[in-house]
Amino acid sequence: MKNKYHYHMVIMIVLVYVAVIFNTGFRGFPKPTLKTLSNGVWGTQVEAFLEEKIGFHDSLFRLRSQIDLVFGEKSIRDVYITDEMLLEKLDSQDAASIPQSAALLNRFYEKYHIPTYFILVPSASEIYEDLLPLNAVKENQRQLISETYAAVSTGIRYVDACNILSSLKEEYIYYRNDTHWTSYGAYAVYQSAIHKMGFTAVPYNRYVVSHVRTDFRGDLYESTLYSEIKPDILDRYTYENGAKIVSVTAHYADGSTEDRGTALYDESALESGDMYRFYLGKPSPMLEIRTDLENDKRLLIYKDDFADCMIPFLIQHYSEICVVDLTESLEVTHRLADPAKFTQILFLSSMESWETLWLHAKETE
Amino acid sequence: MYLSTLTFTLLVLPLTLLLFYLIPQKAKRVYLLVVGLLLYGFGNPLRVLVPLTYVLFDYGVGLLLKKAASHRFLSRSIVMLTAAFQAAVLTAVRLVSDGNREFLFPLGMAIFTLSGIGYLIGVHRKKHEAESNILSLALYLTFFPILYAGPLISYGEFQSQLAKNRHNIVNLGSGIGLFIRGLAEKVVLADTLGYLFRELRQTAPASISMLTAWLTVTVFSMYLYFELLGYADMARGLGLCFGITLPKHFGQPFMTSSVTAFMESWNITHIHWFQVNFRDFLFRNIRHRWTKYASLVLMWMLIGVWYGTSLQFLLWGLIIGILLAAEQFVLGRVIKRNYAFGLLYTGMSLQFAWVLLFTDSMTEAALYWKAMVGFGAGLADRFGVYFFTSYIVFLLISFYIATDLFRNITERVAVTAIGRKIASLMPLIECVLMIFCFACMLYKRIPAALWLQL
Repeated sequence: MKNKYHYHMVIMIVLVYVAVIFNTGFRGFPKPTLKTLSNGVWGTQVEAFLEEKIGFHDSLFRLRSQIDLVFGEKSIRDVYITDEMLLEKLDSQDAASIPQSAALLNRFYEKYHIPTYFILVPSASEIYEDLLPLNAVKENQRQLISETYAAVSTGIRYVDACNILSSLKEEYIYYRNDTHWTSYGAYAVYQSAIHKMGFTAVPYNRYVVSHVRTDFRGDLYESTLYSEIKPDILDRYTYENGAKIVSVTAHYADGSTEDRGTALYDESALESGDMYRFYLGKPSPMLEIRTDLENDKRLLIYKDDFADCMIPFLIQHYSEICVVDLTESLEVTHRLADPAKFTQILFLSSMESWETLWLHAKETE
Repeated sequence: MYLSTLTFTLLVLPLTLLLFYLIPQKAKRVYLLVVGLLLYGFGNPLRVLVPLTYVLFDYGVGLLLKKAASHRFLSRSIVMLTAAFQAAVLTAVRLVSDGNREFLFPLGMAIFTLSGIGYLIGVHRKKHEAESNILSLALYLTFFPILYAGPLISYGEFQSQLAKNRHNIVNLGSGIGLFIRGLAEKVVLADTLGYLFRELRQTAPASISMLTAWLTVTVFSMYLYFELLGYADMARGLGLCFGITLPKHFGQPFMTSSVTAFMESWNITHIHWFQVNFRDFLFRNIRHRWTKYASLVLMWMLIGVWYGTSLQFLLWGLIIGILLAAEQFVLGRVIKRNYAFGLLYTGMSLQFAWVLLFTDSMTEAALYWKAMVGFGAGLADRFGVYFFTSYIVFLLISFYIATDLFRNITERVAVTAIGRKIASLMPLIECVLMIFCFACMLYKRIPAALWLQL
């Protein structure tokens, strides 16, 4: 009896290993170089590779997270699991950074004196606070946003996205499996913003809305692999009689450009792992969009990826829009686009990434 | 390379074991030595110089001691000088390497120091011969399973086991089972507790509530226990696979009724080392009662500093030492008569002492103590309640494993028919545990060696 244990143990563990190793995809296994071997990077690469490619990865991941959920944990990898949607745990932000980030905007405004607009978008966790698990601690974004707004100089006009979105809570304004807002959420804020910017918004009923994907699972799904939530719908908004795009040009940090024709939407993204890229295509430091409008209105947008699905609405009002990615270094973007050439400037970012964005901007200012 | 990584468990371990059993008997020792050095130098080949220096140093001093064997005073002086020198080097390196918590860093150095000094003292006290074959000594000092957190084994014991060639299917099977249990203790229990601990520590100490303070300390003590226990059991399992039975390093210390009983089940071989090579070696001839207490306190201060080179660790050692001395002096008799009091006193005093091991300064520790006695920011806060409700089941399970309070239930079940059924299913259970360990390793929420970065 006691002797059998050892034989069973050895045979069974060999079977387990054979099963796991033969299901591990070793293609693309990191190759050691003299440099990565000597500074220890290779070890980290191998470990990261195995964490991704180990046999039965998804089942093992789900097994681990399910056990946590059964024992009473309400989140998977910093994402709260609720009945209706996945909600990200908000990073606690440094309140002291608010005046500093506002000062950066103010300096910018002092320098160019061009009409400047500012939108901070709250996360879904702020709007759907009541869905969060009991006692879950969360950063008060609403307050952070209003404090930031209060600290920017009076010349800069802001849009209270929090209240607009809160009043539309029952509508489909945030994806269930992704951190971003939906096109509809973006439209609601656009409506109010474009009014402040001196235009009349295109009424909602002028748009033809088509569902391009109904099985969209975004970044929150990717990090939790939690599949109990209904998949999301990606929408395309078409305005038949509206302004048409004449050219879209992407500028890259190394000085090269890419002509993207007249298409804003990137159909190929729908077949890729990152469907949200559909709205603005492959990320680039600057995207230059020209339309057939001849009103000589030129808009410069400093944005994070929340802006992507708002751009299709904005093109109805400008002859030229430059979309500058705030995650790229300001040095590069200043070289690509001189703010002085524009008639209006818009800062649009999610509150969640605003802190990192302005810190980044401060470094490269 | 850490033992609880996928790289090690999935790729390196099976390959190492397979080759070990395939190569001819004669080559096995050299093979183990080479594997040890390769794993040590993994990521930074120059680091191999560290163990090699220790081997050369200890080898040379060992031969010197052999020559001086007839001059007891000279021999004793050499041992004391070299021991003090090694301890000084270790302390200096730790102070320079900018961290007072890194008791494993540079990886294995603490173990090289302890094993080396133990070897030299053994030679001096004629417990074993000075080794004339440098390879044997090198294998002893660089035996890779124990480099992370022990357990320590004496030189004579190691060599006699090695000579018996005890690697066979029986030991391989038990070794794998033990390794899996150790891995589970580390990646299932310790890693979850470590994650929880790190989340709890995000509260600013000034605004901590009573509940959060107690939760933090409890989680920390159990985290530390399972982290060290896990590494020790992995080492014991691996040792067994190579035919070396390493001694038990931890018992089930929680819920004991005296600090003495707790520390008898805590880091057993390390504390035993200090007892033999420090206290017995230096104070053997001093029989006076108060001197004995003093040497005990002194030894624990040394253990504290061995855990981490800062004033707080020293203070921790001092407190434990004083408690142990007090128990020998008078407290022990009180506890014997009143078990409940013993439980309460042990739990309380240890909980307060643990605070010293994870806080960054005395002021911070004081804030935790203040909160623990109820003068912090209220009795409970949302933060603490959230984690308490999310992890209470997990904490209770961990606690059950860490205490021997309910041991008799397990023992009574073991002799029944169901118990025997379970025993025959053990290989299956352990294989499932291994699969779950894979799941935990890829789910990683905290770095493989959180304790080094606390």
